[in-house]
Amino acid sequence: MLTLPLAIAWFAAVALATVDGRQRRFGWAAVGALAATLAATVWLGVEVVRDGPVEVVAGGWPEGVGITLRADALGVTFAVLSLAVLLVALAYEVIGGVRSRVFPALVLFMAVGLTGLCLTGDVFNFYVFFEIAMISAYVLATYGEWTRQLRAATIFATVNLLGSVLFLIAIASLYHLTGSLDMRVIARTVPVVQENPAVLSATLIFVAFGVKLGLFPFHFWLAAVYTGTRPAVAAILSGALANIGSYGLLRFGGDLLPRELERGAPVLLVLGAASIVYGALQAVSCGAPSEVLAYSSIGQVGYILVALAVGGEVGFAASVLYSVVNSVNKTLLFLAVPLRGWLVGGALAVGAFSVAGLPPAVGFFGKAALFRAGIAEGSTALLVLLFVGGALSFVYLFQLYGRRFWVIEPPDTGDCPPLGAVAGPSLLAHRLLVLALAGVVVGLGIWPEPLLALSAEAAAVLPAAR
Amino acid sequence: MTLVYSVAVAILFGAGAYMLLKHDLIRVVAGMVLISNAANLFIMSAGLTVGPPPIYPLGDDGPEAVADPLVQAMTLTAIVISFGVSALLLSLVYRVYTSHLSLDLEDLSEAEERDEAAHELQTMVGRR
Repeated sequence: MLTLPLAIAWFAAVALATVDGRQRRFGWAAVGALAATLAATVWLGVEVVRDGPVEVVAGGWPEGVGITLRADALGVTFAVLSLAVLLVALAYEVIGGVRSRVFPALVLFMAVGLTGLCLTGDVFNFYVFFEIAMISAYVLATYGEWTRQLRAATIFATVNLLGSVLFLIAIASLYHLTGSLDMRVIARTVPVVQENPAVLSATLIFVAFGVKLGLFPFHFWLAAVYTGTRPAVAAILSGALANIGSYGLLRFGGDLLPRELERGAPVLLVLGAASIVYGALQAVSCGAPSEVLAYSSIGQVGYILVALAVGGEVGFAASVLYSVVNSVNKTLLFLAVPLRGWLVGGALAVGAFSVAGLPPAVGFFGKAALFRAGIAEGSTALLVLLFVGGALSFVYLFQLYGRRFWVIEPPDTGDCPPLGAVAGPSLLAHRLLVLALAGVVVGLGIWPEPLLALSAEAAAVLPAAR
Repeated sequence: MTLVYSVAVAILFGAGAYMLLKHDLIRVVAGMVLISNAANLFIMSAGLTVGPPPIYPLGDDGPEAVADPLVQAMTLTAIVISFGVSALLLSLVYRVYTSHLSLDLEDLSEAEERDEAAHELQTMVGRR
């Protein structure tokens, strides 16, 4: 049961890699395979939430020898989230016409990587899945093959590769410290090992995930990549791939190294606050819609980090909830911005409300959870920061809305890709897809109980939350 | 032995970081390769036991006396991954070369500025 989602996505990806993905039927076959993967993961998730964590040791080895696959509420939440974002983005691209023969296969490979790293119980296995997802992302960043994108993708690959190497070094040092690669054994052993080496590995892990998330001091690759690429790829990178960072920080910080997380909390708070302010100010001053969204992503991950730094049951639940909300928002906004029409205008307004944290969109509950975390921390500065960040996001998103739907823009000339949204065909099916996504945002905002319960359940997995 | 390993890792990592900061993209890739190899060596040095190769039968001293096989498996995997990623990075750099006819980062950032200026001009003309 646990290996089913991975098996579906992996075999479909390998099969699709051999065919021409530009053909419509193969595109839809990829959508079907991804939907099957998502369904299998949701089924697994229902079992996990009902009966508790599921565990399998790969290859029939005895426990402690073989690689463990383990699904708990936290992992399953992020796996379902990433797969859903990938599914929407892939369907969007297939509707408009895929331009590269490997695109559907790459999205499925990324699905394997993202699902695998959420469902593994072994840190080295985590690294391997993480690299599968990252390598697909490096290739996806060049999708479209404009010169500007090639430059951005080179920087993206180099910086993120450095992040991966740092993560690998951190894993090796954790292994040397604890004598195991199994997450549960590491979590048990870390409290009794020497503190300084553990802090060192924790710092390396934080830097590695900070690079993936695009947090403030490590953000410099992000804007160039997000603005140059096609909307579906931008949605995949910011909605699905960034989950590696937030899931990784939650898993390694909250589960494996809670003592180190607590010690580093002041640093995390400062960096999170810097990300929020920096991202929001840059987004306000930007003109092109996708640039606004790119800087907005930097700001939004700051909130996740702040919630993580607050910690405890409230903080971790807020962090999970905000990751989910942020992924859905960013997917909606990146996909909606290049389209035209009043339907899309409505969807974009819903996305903007959600990012700013206004009801009835689901973003309201994300922000409410953050405020709860801020009150739990008892810090006025944090509450002011959350309020100012929210107000600024309201400003830049409605600037964007105004520019997009109230001003007549110049027609795009074909050969030079615009710096802003890359124009594609704006089909009715695209608009309906975006509208459905907006419907999900509003629906979750009106009936948020399942999502709130799920995020509380996911946070309860982490020992530091108790 | 630990000192030899750490000096080797430090030299590899330092040289790689130095190359990463160069203007030439080929050097940047070479720097990345050096840094990945520093990581591989670091994994090897993180092994818990030192001894003869862990090949079955293990000999009389039992499993504690042989070299740690897990780090070797990890290094092998990491080598394969970094090999693949280096190939990908080189092919990316090759594509950058075919579209810019240069691998110097200064030329590339000039091209970036040209693109942006062209875009701004286009937007301004459109607004009129």
